[in-house]
Amino acid sequence: MSSRSKRMIDAVIKYVVSDSQNMAAVSNSNRDDCVRCYEPMVDDSIRKGGFSDDSPVEKNITQHPYPVCRLNHLDFDCDNHFCPWKVAQGGEMKWCGEAVGRGSPAYFARVARLRRALLLLAAAACTAAALLYWRQQSDDRATRPLHNLYTDVEPEWTWVCRNERCERLPAAEMSSLQSLPTCNMLCASTQLWPQPTGPVSLATAAVPVRASAFNLHVVASPSRHVSEHLEDAFSLFREDLRALEKNMISDKHSDIGPAHEVVVRISVNGSSDVRMLIDTDESYKLSLRPKRNTLVADITAHSFCGARHGLETLSQLIWLDPYAGSLLALEAATVEDAPRFRYRGLLLDTARNYFPVGEIVRTIDAMAACKLNTFHWHISDSQSFPLRLNSAPQLAQHGAYGPGAVYTTEEVRAIVRRARLRGIRVLIEVDAPAHVGRAWSWGPQAGLGQLAYCVEVEPWSAYCGEPPCGQLNPRNPHVYELLERIYAEIIQLTGVDDIFHLGGDEVSERCWSQYFNDTDPMDLWLDFTRRAMRALERANGGKAPEMTLLWSSRLTRSPYLERLDMKKFGIQVWGASRWPESRAVLDAGFRSVISHVDVWYLDCGFGSWRDSSDGHCGPYRSWQQIYEHRPWVDESVGGMGPVGDGWRVEGGEACQWSEQLAAGGLDARVWPRTAALAERLWSDRAEGAAADVYLRLDTQRARLLARGVRAAPLWPRWCTHNPHACL
Amino acid sequence: MFYEILQVRMDWQWALIVVLVHLAQGNEGNSVDPTPDLYEPSWVYKCEPEEGCQRSEHPQPTNSSAANSSFMVFESLDVCRTVCGPFGGLWPRPVTAVLSTQTLKMHPNLLRFALTNAPVETREMLVEMTHVITSNLFAECNGNITEMVETPVMVYISVKSPSLELTWDTDEQYLLDVQNEVDNIVVHISAETVYGARHALESFTQLIAPDRPEFSNQHQCGLRIVTGAKIRDKPVYKHRGLVLDTSRNFIPMEDIKRTIDGMAATKMNVFHWHVTDSQSFPLESRRVPQFTKYGAYSANEIYSTEEVRELIRYARIRGIRVVIEIDSPAHAGNGWQWGKEYGFGDLAVCVNARSWRHLCIEPPCGQLNPANPAMYRVLRDLYRDIAELVPQPALFHVGGDEVYLGCWNSSEEIVSYMKNKGFDTDTEGFIRLWAEFHSKALQIWDEETMAVGGQQQPVLIWSSELTQPERIQNYLDKKRYIIEVWEPLSSPLLTQLLRMGYKTISIPKDIWYLDHGFWGKTKYSNWRRMYGHVLPRDPNVLGGEVAMWSEYVDAQALDTRVWPRAAAVGERLWSDPRSGFAAAEPRLQRLRARLRARGLRPDVVSPEWCAQHDARCY
Repeated sequence: MSSRSKRMIDAVIKYVVSDSQNMAAVSNSNRDDCVRCYEPMVDDSIRKGGFSDDSPVEKNITQHPYPVCRLNHLDFDCDNHFCPWKVAQGGEMKWCGEAVGRGSPAYFARVARLRRALLLLAAAACTAAALLYWRQQSDDRATRPLHNLYTDVEPEWTWVCRNERCERLPAAEMSSLQSLPTCNMLCASTQLWPQPTGPVSLATAAVPVRASAFNLHVVASPSRHVSEHLEDAFSLFREDLRALEKNMISDKHSDIGPAHEVVVRISVNGSSDVRMLIDTDESYKLSLRPKRNTLVADITAHSFCGARHGLETLSQLIWLDPYAGSLLALEAATVEDAPRFRYRGLLLDTARNYFPVGEIVRTIDAMAACKLNTFHWHISDSQSFPLRLNSAPQLAQHGAYGPGAVYTTEEVRAIVRRARLRGIRVLIEVDAPAHVGRAWSWGPQAGLGQLAYCVEVEPWSAYCGEPPCGQLNPRNPHVYELLERIYAEIIQLTGVDDIFHLGGDEVSERCWSQYFNDTDPMDLWLDFTRRAMRALERANGGKAPEMTLLWSSRLTRSPYLERLDMKKFGIQVWGASRWPESRAVLDAGFRSVISHVDVWYLDCGFGSWRDSSDGHCGPYRSWQQIYEHRPWVDESVGGMGPVGDGWRVEGGEACQWSEQLAAGGLDARVWPRTAALAERLWSDRAEGAAADVYLRLDTQRARLLARGVRAAPLWPRWCTHNPHACL
Repeated sequence: MFYEILQVRMDWQWALIVVLVHLAQGNEGNSVDPTPDLYEPSWVYKCEPEEGCQRSEHPQPTNSSAANSSFMVFESLDVCRTVCGPFGGLWPRPVTAVLSTQTLKMHPNLLRFALTNAPVETREMLVEMTHVITSNLFAECNGNITEMVETPVMVYISVKSPSLELTWDTDEQYLLDVQNEVDNIVVHISAETVYGARHALESFTQLIAPDRPEFSNQHQCGLRIVTGAKIRDKPVYKHRGLVLDTSRNFIPMEDIKRTIDGMAATKMNVFHWHVTDSQSFPLESRRVPQFTKYGAYSANEIYSTEEVRELIRYARIRGIRVVIEIDSPAHAGNGWQWGKEYGFGDLAVCVNARSWRHLCIEPPCGQLNPANPAMYRVLRDLYRDIAELVPQPALFHVGGDEVYLGCWNSSEEIVSYMKNKGFDTDTEGFIRLWAEFHSKALQIWDEETMAVGGQQQPVLIWSSELTQPERIQNYLDKKRYIIEVWEPLSSPLLTQLLRMGYKTISIPKDIWYLDHGFWGKTKYSNWRRMYGHVLPRDPNVLGGEVAMWSEYVDAQALDTRVWPRAAAVGERLWSDPRSGFAAAEPRLQRLRARLRARGLRPDVVSPEWCAQHDARCY
C-alpha cells in the first residue's frame, strides 16, 4: 500500500472515529456549529461574480419573502442526537463522526505551521546541497539534481473549511486529506439545488453509506398506485446513487468502516393521483437523523410528486468522496420545501432535428435532478413529424426524416413512464395551424382534399419564417377530425388531461389569403383556434382541459385577445421581455407561462443557419442571465414594468429549438443553463447569481455529470478547486 | 508487394454474417404477419444538376420510367452526396477533381495496398496510414459491413522522398487516380512525401460512402466507391492549425486523439497544444515532477511522457505535427508555486493572488519571475524534456501573450533586479525585461535542442505589446520568431508585421476563436462566418489556426464546440476557394456525417430537412 492511500484511509477514519486528542478542542468550538442554518441574505450587498468582461455590479438585496432557514426553528439543543459533538462525547457511538467543519481549522493550522517550518528547514538544506551539486555537474544537464530531490511525487490536494470557504492546500501540508466534495458538503453552503424555500438545517458530519444499503418503508400512502410508484421512484433513486458509486475506486471502500444502513420512510397524505397535475401539491418535508447504526430519512408529502422531490433532495445530501472511495451522507438534516411556481418547464424541439429516445430520457433525468416538472415536447413542425400515431400513421410516414427517425407509441409510453416516476408531465405539442409540412401532404391521395397549403412552397420567405413552409387548411373538416384523433391519442399516451398545448404561433396571413381571399385571415385563424379547441374537448371526453396553452402571437394581442376565452386558454409568452405583450396578456387576466426569447431561449446566439441572416436570435444567454431574469417582480431588469395586481404567472420555461442542435450536442447546450432556470422557478431567490449560487450550481453540474449528462463547465476547474477565488 | 490487412476482422465479419443469416431465418419462421409496415417513411435522393441532392418520395415499383432514371436516384443521401456536384463529398475541396457519377460496391477487406514504389524507409509509416483509413472505412458502417462484395480495390502508392520529416517544407501535394478496370478498381496515388500520400488516402476514403437510407432502422450497410476519379491537390497554406487549451479545463487524452482524428479528416496539419496556463500544469516533466505535483488538478489529470510520445506518433501518421506551447512569462502560475519550499525563491510571482483584477486577465494570476536565475534553470529542465519528446526538426511555441506589467511591478525582487540592471521601471523598462526573458528562454531552447541533436529552428510566439510595430524590431529577430497574430480583424498589426518582413500565423480572435459567443461581449462565429474569412495571400503568411480555449469547455462540450466549425477553417486554409459557403454546405453536411461515423460529436449546421434538400434553405 502506498503512503498516499494510507493517508486517505486516515482521512476517512477521521470521519468515523474521532481522534481523541483533539476531541476537546473540536467539541468546544463546535458546540454552536453542530447544525448549519441558512438565513436569507438581508440588505446585504452581494458582489456579482464573473471574469473581467463582466464588470462587477453592486446590488442591494431586498428581504426575501420566503426565509430559507431559521436557526431556532429546530429549538436546537445539543442534548438531542442532531449534535455530533454530544454523541461523540458519549464515546460509545462511534458511527457519529467528528465534525470536520468549523472546529478543526485551528488545529490543522497549527500542524501546518510546524510542518511548514520543518519543510523549510529541510528544503534549505537540500537546496544548499543541490546548488553545490549543480555547480559540479554543470556540464551534464541531463542529470541535474532538481528532479532527484523529489521523485515519485504525485499531486494531491486537500481542502479545509476556513471562514466558510473551502481552501485548497497541498496535501503535504496536512496530516490528513479531505476531498473537495466532502469539504463543500460540510462547509457553509447547503450545496442543494434548487435551494429549498423553507427552513433547512444540515449537520456538519458525515457517515459512509452505500447504494445497496438503502431501504424503503412506505409508512402511509393514499393508494396502492402511489405505493407502487414510490417503490419505482425509489429504485431510480438507488440507480442514481449507483451511478455515483460507479466512479469509486473499488479497493478502498472496505477500509473506511461499515457503511450505514439507511431506512427511507415515506408518508404521502393526500392525492392518490400520481400524475403531475396543475394543482398537485409538490411540497415535502425531509428529515434525516442517525439512529443506532442506521440513518433514518423521513419524507412526508401530500402527493407522490412531492415525495419524489424529497427523494431528490435526499440524494443531494449524499456524495462520493473520491479519497474515501465511498459514498458519504450527512448524518442529520431537516428540509422543508415547496416550489414558488407550479409550471417549471423545458421545451425540446425534436422536429428540426431528431433526437433519439435515449437523449430524451437523459434530459428528463436531468430535469428531475433540478425539480423541473414539465417536459414540453415540441414534437412536430414543418420540417418533420416524427411521432408515429396509431390514429394517423400517415403523418410520420410522410413527415419523418427516415424510418429510424420516428417515435413509436411504445417509445413515447416509455418516456412518459420515466417522466412520471421523475415527477414530470410530458406535454406533447403538435403545432398548428402553422408549422406544419410534408406530413400533411397526403390528403388528396387519401380522398380527404387538401389538408395543408403552401407545403414547401417557393420562395419560402414570402410564406413563412423559415424553410420549409406549410399551413393547415382551416376550411377542411377532415383537418379537425384528424386533429381530434391526434389530440385523443396524445392525451391517452401522456395521461396529461389538465394541460394541453395547441401551438398556434407564426401563422402566415399571406399563405391563407392566397386561397381564401373572401375572409380576413385573422378571422380564419380565430375560427381555426376555436374549432381546434372543440376538437380537443371532444378528444378529452367532452371537457376542456383546465388550461390550454397557445403561443403568444398576433392572435393573443388586442383586439383578438379579447375574443379568446380566458377560462380555457393560457398564453405561453415568448416575445422579448421588453415587448408590451407579456404585460398585456397578464393585465388582461390570462394565465401565462413565460419563455422570453431574449433570455430563456437556449438556441439563441449561434448565428444564422441560412443565407438571409435576419430572423435568428441572439446573443447567447449565460446561466447567470437566465438565473437573474425575474420578470414578475418590480424590477427594470424584467422589462415588464411594475407588477400588476392579480397577474397569473403559472411559471416559466426554457426553450431549446433545434435548428442548430442535434443529438450529441444537446446536453452541453441545455445544461447547466436550464438548472439555473429551475432554481429561478422553484426558489425565486431575490439575489442574483451570487457566490453561493456559483458554488451550488457547480456542485449540481457535478451531479449531472455523474448521471451521464454532458453538462458544460461553469468555469476553469481551478475555480472549482478554489471556491470563491474566481468571483 | 501486397499484404493482407485485417485478416482477423474479416473472419469476424464472416461469423457475424452467419449469425445474421440465422437471425433472418428465425424471423421468417416465426413471423405470422408478413405484410410490411405500410406507413414506413421511405425516401430517395435525386442528384439534380443545379440543386444538389433532393429528397423525394420513393418511386413506385410499377413506374418503369423512374427505374430508367435511377442512376441518379439514391437510397442513401451519403452516396448521393459522394457523386453529386463537381467535388462530390470531398472536404476540403481539392484543387481539381473529376469524378464519375457511377459507384460500385466495395469492402475494406478486399482493399490491397501496393507499396513497391515507396522508399523502404517510408513503408512502415505507410502501412500504419493504411490501417487508419481502413478502420475509418469500417466506421462508415459502424464497424459492421453486411454487404458481400467481390470487387477488389488495388491501391498503388508511390512516394518519392524517403524522408519522414514533417515541417513547413514538407511537400503535401498528391495525385489520386481511380479507375474501374475489368474486375477490379485500381487506385494510383503518387506523392512526393508520405504525408502527401496520406492526404491522398484521406481523399480516397472520401470517395466512399455508406449505402443505407438516412435514419435507417435496419442493420444492413455496405460501402460504395466512385468508380472513376482524378484528383490533383495541394494546400494553399502550409500551416493549418488548431489550438487546444488543456489547462483551463483538463481534456483527457482520448478526447485529444478524437480531435486529431477530426483534423486528419480535414487535412489540417498542426495541433497547437496550449498545454499549460496559470490554472494548471498537466504536462509531466520527468526532470521537474513538481510541475504536475503542484500544478495538475489531480493524479488522473496528467499527460504522462509516454502518453505525449504516443500522441505525437498518433498525430504523425495522420499528417499532423504536435506543437507544444509552454506559455510564458505570463499565463504561468500553478505548477510554478513551489520554489520557496525548495529553496529556489519565487519561480513565479502573483500566483493565485487574491486581487486578481489588477494583476492578470483572469484568475488565477501568475507570471514567471525573470529576476530569479533558478527560474531559468527550471525552465531549462522543462525545455530539455520537451526537446527530447518532440521529433526534430522541432517546432515550439513560447507563448508570450498578455504579460501584466503591474504584476511584475508588484514584486520588490523584480523591481530591484531591474534597477540593478539599469532598466527604468516604466512601461518600456518592463518591456525590456519581458524581451530579456524571451531572449534567454530562446537561448535555452536552442541549447537544449542542440543537446538532443537538433538544429536551431524558429519558434512561435503570440502577438502582444512586445510585437507592436514600434517595438518588435528592437526585441524579436524575424529569423527566429514567427508571430502568431491573434488581434481582431480590425487590427492593422498583421499587415504591419508582414510589411516589416515577419513571418506570421493568423488567428483573428473575433472570427476564429471557438470559445467566443459564450462569455462577456464576445460574438459566436458560426461555420459560415469562419469560412468567409480569407487570409491575405502573402508568402509570409504561413497559415492560420482556429482556437479552442477551454475556460468554458471540457471533454463534455469539446466536440460540438470544435466541429464542424474547425473544418470550415480547414478548407479555407487548404484550398482557399473563391466560392462561398453555399457551394460548400452540401460537402460540409457529408463531412459532418463522416466525422460522426468516426466517433466525433459534431454540431449540426441546419435542420435535417435542409440537409435532405440541398440549396433549399437559402
